[in-house]
Amino acid sequence: MDKAAINEKVDAIVAKIGATAEAVIPILQDIQQAFNYLPEEALERVCQITAITPAQVAGISTFYSQFRHHSAGKHIIRVCTGTACHVKGSGLVYDAFRREMKLDNNSYTDAVGIFTLEQVACLGCCTLAPVVKIDEVTFGHVQPENVGEILRDFLIREKNIKTRENTSKTASGARQGEIRIGLGSCCVASGSSDVKSELERTLAETRINVEVKQVGCVGICNQVPILEIVKPGENPAFYAHIQPEEVKEVILSHFKPSGQINRLKTKVTGMFEEILVDGAPKSFRKYLTEQRDTPLTRFLGPQVNIATETRGEVKPCDIEAYRQAGGFGALRKSLTAMTPQEVVDEIKKSGLRGRGGAGFPTGNKWQMVKNQSPKEKYIICNGDEGDPGAFMDRMLLESYPFRIIEGMLIAGFATGATHGLFYIRAEYPLAVKRIREALIICEKEGILGKNIMASEFSFDIRIFEGAGAFVCGEETALIASVEGKRGIPSLRPPYPAVKGLHGKPTLINNTETFSLISWIIRHGSDAFSKIGTPGSKGTKVFALAGKINRGGLIEIPMGFTIRKIVEEIGGGIPGDKKFKAVQVGGPSGGCLPASLADLPVDYEALTEAGAMMGSGGLIVLDETDCMVDIAHYFLSFTQNQSCGKCTFCRVGTRRMLDLLEKIRSGLGTPGDLEALEKLAISVRTGSLCGLGKTAPNPVLSTLRYFREEYEEHIHGHCPSGKCLPIVGYQITDACIGCTKCAQRCPSEAIAFKPYEIHTINPEKCIKCDICRQICPVKAVIIR
Amino acid sequence: MMKLTIDYIPLEVKEGTTLMQAAAMAGIKIPSMCYLEELPNHPSCMVCMVKDLSRNRFLPSCSYLAEEGMNILTHSPEIRGFRKEALELLLSDHAGDCDAPCQRSCPASMDIPGMNRLIAAGRFEEALSRIREEIAIPLVLGYICPAPCENACHRSSIDGPVSICLLKRFTAQDKLRRGHNLLPMVGLSGKKVAIVGSGPAGLSAAFYLLRSGHTCVIYDQHLLPGGMLRYKIPENRLPRKALDAEIQCIRQMGAIFTMDHPIDKLVFHQELCRDYDAVILATGNEEKQILEDFGLEVDEHGVKVSLTHFTTSAPRIFACGNMIRKRQMAVRSAAQGKAAAISANHFLMTGKPLGSKHLFNSSFGRLQKEEFEDYLMESGSVKRVEPENGSFGGFTREEAIREAGRCMHCDCRKQVTCKLRQYAGEYGTHQKHFAGPSRKKITKLFRQDLVVYEPEKCIRCGLCVQITQMAGEDLGLTYIGRGFDVRIGIPFHQSFDEALKKTASACVKACPTGALSGKEDPGTDTHGSY
Repeated sequence: MDKAAINEKVDAIVAKIGATAEAVIPILQDIQQAFNYLPEEALERVCQITAITPAQVAGISTFYSQFRHHSAGKHIIRVCTGTACHVKGSGLVYDAFRREMKLDNNSYTDAVGIFTLEQVACLGCCTLAPVVKIDEVTFGHVQPENVGEILRDFLIREKNIKTRENTSKTASGARQGEIRIGLGSCCVASGSSDVKSELERTLAETRINVEVKQVGCVGICNQVPILEIVKPGENPAFYAHIQPEEVKEVILSHFKPSGQINRLKTKVTGMFEEILVDGAPKSFRKYLTEQRDTPLTRFLGPQVNIATETRGEVKPCDIEAYRQAGGFGALRKSLTAMTPQEVVDEIKKSGLRGRGGAGFPTGNKWQMVKNQSPKEKYIICNGDEGDPGAFMDRMLLESYPFRIIEGMLIAGFATGATHGLFYIRAEYPLAVKRIREALIICEKEGILGKNIMASEFSFDIRIFEGAGAFVCGEETALIASVEGKRGIPSLRPPYPAVKGLHGKPTLINNTETFSLISWIIRHGSDAFSKIGTPGSKGTKVFALAGKINRGGLIEIPMGFTIRKIVEEIGGGIPGDKKFKAVQVGGPSGGCLPASLADLPVDYEALTEAGAMMGSGGLIVLDETDCMVDIAHYFLSFTQNQSCGKCTFCRVGTRRMLDLLEKIRSGLGTPGDLEALEKLAISVRTGSLCGLGKTAPNPVLSTLRYFREEYEEHIHGHCPSGKCLPIVGYQITDACIGCTKCAQRCPSEAIAFKPYEIHTINPEKCIKCDICRQICPVKAVIIR
Repeated sequence: MMKLTIDYIPLEVKEGTTLMQAAAMAGIKIPSMCYLEELPNHPSCMVCMVKDLSRNRFLPSCSYLAEEGMNILTHSPEIRGFRKEALELLLSDHAGDCDAPCQRSCPASMDIPGMNRLIAAGRFEEALSRIREEIAIPLVLGYICPAPCENACHRSSIDGPVSICLLKRFTAQDKLRRGHNLLPMVGLSGKKVAIVGSGPAGLSAAFYLLRSGHTCVIYDQHLLPGGMLRYKIPENRLPRKALDAEIQCIRQMGAIFTMDHPIDKLVFHQELCRDYDAVILATGNEEKQILEDFGLEVDEHGVKVSLTHFTTSAPRIFACGNMIRKRQMAVRSAAQGKAAAISANHFLMTGKPLGSKHLFNSSFGRLQKEEFEDYLMESGSVKRVEPENGSFGGFTREEAIREAGRCMHCDCRKQVTCKLRQYAGEYGTHQKHFAGPSRKKITKLFRQDLVVYEPEKCIRCGLCVQITQMAGEDLGLTYIGRGFDVRIGIPFHQSFDEALKKTASACVKACPTGALSGKEDPGTDTHGSY
């Protein structure tokens, strides 16, 4: 592209976004969107025509991991490296892509420029782990041996989309009912949009008149894609794991086509039974709501829905439906019947504490902001959910945009703020889309803007998309990033409540916190504080994933025990494996052993046990998980996400990682554990912000509860065979000589010997795990 | 106003006072590297951490504001340990040499790069003075020293080490130059020192004691001075002319040689101990019995001495050279002779001996192939000069200048002002404590003749970034990347010349380490203990 063309594009972007220094991140995002990377000429042009300096551009574009400085392939492959994906082998998947794409050491784009491979902290689809996203298409349960297939599948799909025509015929006749389909990211990733297209096609073909309602996340991620059929006079029926080709049959079993008769009902019903007995995972299961003890009721039954009220019933951006379910009632109540101080007091009385992790009393934070004299104040919704293994914020933003907006509006009214901002991480495009849509609707409806609901209160909200930096979840770093700076946390005090965005008082609450506000105002603080423990009130949303039968998004009352979550809601550990630990709170949290399963979910209880509520990622680990590997995993994450300011975090976490690497490679020496522990404590003490202060937690908690596992590594042995540097693959006598492994081995480490027992050449083996996964008789073992 | 205590001293300070400022009011100094008063506070180094006992927490004192009721402790073993850790973490990622490896490996810690630069500039007299700050007998050592410095020279891995030893000899070879600046100062102090033995240790001790204005009488059992230099080393390795010339210098400074005068028990006690203010023993290999007769404690190596103060078990008696450890290199004996002289001088002036101080020295190990290019930028790629007259003949003037120009300036230009080095020494750090599995590749960037930037010495405090930003440099410096890999760089891959148009000297001054230094900064050139 020539310079003039580049300049023209950049000029248009700047004209759209603005030319202030603060606009740098959105400008760079748009440039990347336009060129698929940041051409240096474009950046120079930005500096020419805006207040943005070269130093700023260089600093910003190298800080946030979203930005690329080299041209990428036509399609971007993002391999999720979130916790759930990690424990399910995403590292091996990544390696498999590298091999498949024939990438050498420092390249990320294949030779022909079709695909670029990237790692992403977490796509928030933990229940489908390991997850890979190619452009906008998500693939779940990816295994190393099928990456080639995925790439081919993607390319074919690409072609088809271009040629596929839209079938939309108007249905006729009376409306027969409603079909609800979840369209959260997880649902889409497991194929719900295909199901939806098929649904629409079928309805058009058959001219059945039912309303197809796209509801937000249903939370039952382990059962998606899921269809709910609501028909007057019938109990709602759920179809789990439904595939596009099965849609027609299901619809026809409930509704009559208008036109020719085409009933397959008997046949279809017969098929259900077959499938239910067979339990074939590839096909759908039907659950009726009147059935008592289905996996569905066990999953949903113990939950209490406050943040997730109306789960699976309401279309995310349907403001009428939101209103009918009581939406904006709390805002109206606040504006008409309460003073700002009364609202703050109500929140204080509710005992609500920040759901972002540290658990600061929300009412007190509001009071601090309210007490500030400046007229200009800001409300920020922190949706920079960066914890690998957490997707609560994403689900809430995608599914309940109005509820969060209402929470922010109430906060704005209570604290005297007039500007609001959604800070949403870059990896959540659907959340951004939904919130954007909801904001436009609110403006039209007079719920945002001047004189909201005809009151004196005016408030506006804009969206800021994060650019890929976990540390920006820290409130001072978040503010820096909104101001167009590198996301470097600053020393507190002054707190943002006193001196925040643009130096003005700023209230920053987590997405989940805001989504609880309207319920509290509507039902009163007492109703909320009745739920929970003395110190932790209300409910908490968790992303339950990992080695669990029924993963998904759950909202439970505080005080619930970990055992209840894992065993009752989650249905225990799959495959006869033993429950070993839960990782709570992501990279800031810790690993709690199964022996502490009766610990209640409570801020203090978790902290005392060496974990942390964190933002609510809950990853279940079984006996095949290595705790040293888990500690190493989290520390690599935080180490990589450190902003690089404080010595202890920048260098200290790296040195901790070096030590872990050494231990993991079987090269540890007896003093290493003590050295690691000592350094961990210093890093905690000597770091300014939450990232550095909590980064050592996964190491300290595993050292506390699983020290003997570390010691085994020091003796050169990884008990669960996860630490690749010290494990080796072997084939046992159980080998039947089927040659599958030899055929699939990417490094020719297994010689092709039909009907003979195969062997693995350790010199050539790259430990990709494909042979073990593919072996039909489980003859491949890790030693 | 608010009340707090710092190190148990009650203070009242204005709102907005940092803990460091408050401590300064009480006369308490807190170390810090990333703090500079006129710039926005930016705690990053964490060396300034103090403890708030009232809430049992550590706080960065350079930026944390005083609060009512704080009970701050600025120094304690715990805080010291913490600062030490911060420094060791910084050092683990600090790929740079303080002293050049040649100087570090020289037993006398001679300022070799300084000498090389002076020779290359044709300033031979100054070069000799520089040598004599550490070495009293450069001409002799220029012949016989096994030159451990040359083994360590970074250039040895490129195209052979700089001929340090020959350069040193060249400097001291000229008779006129050698005699220069050796004015007799004897008697100024009114103190008298007896030196027993006239080998490298004794001669060296005499040289430095004479320079301090003490009267020196050298005793030796042989007819002629020089000890092992004369009686053990063959003429074809050390021309006697050279030895005599060196001794002549010391004589010229006022040394009194009492030859053919063996010291026995009686002489020792009745003459030396009685008539002199101090005695320095440097007799080389001595029989155990005689030492015991002198009333000195002996160990398996020889006379038992303090290896920092060179004091023996008897008061006023110092010892150095082979009598404290056998078969040492002559250069080590000479170094000990100097150290004993310094200690004795201090004793004579104050009543207390002085320990030799070892400065902290960062080092990165071997220079790697991909680093050669940057290192050669300061020296060009001249091949090692072989003297036309053979190595015994030594360098001509032109050869010396050419060879000295091969020196790559491995010594840090900020070694005197570097805060990292200063604190690393004060806090007794070990650079390898947190050593990572590999070190970063070393690079050097030059801003014409003004500034040298060595990113691997940077501690990422960002003072330079702030300075360039506040001064409105067109380009300036910026942070590149984040986390452990963050570095200070120049936007848009521009040249270093473009980055610092206005702020070069301000940045150099603010940089707490040797990452940014003035190209002509003194480096070792202000260094020297004499």
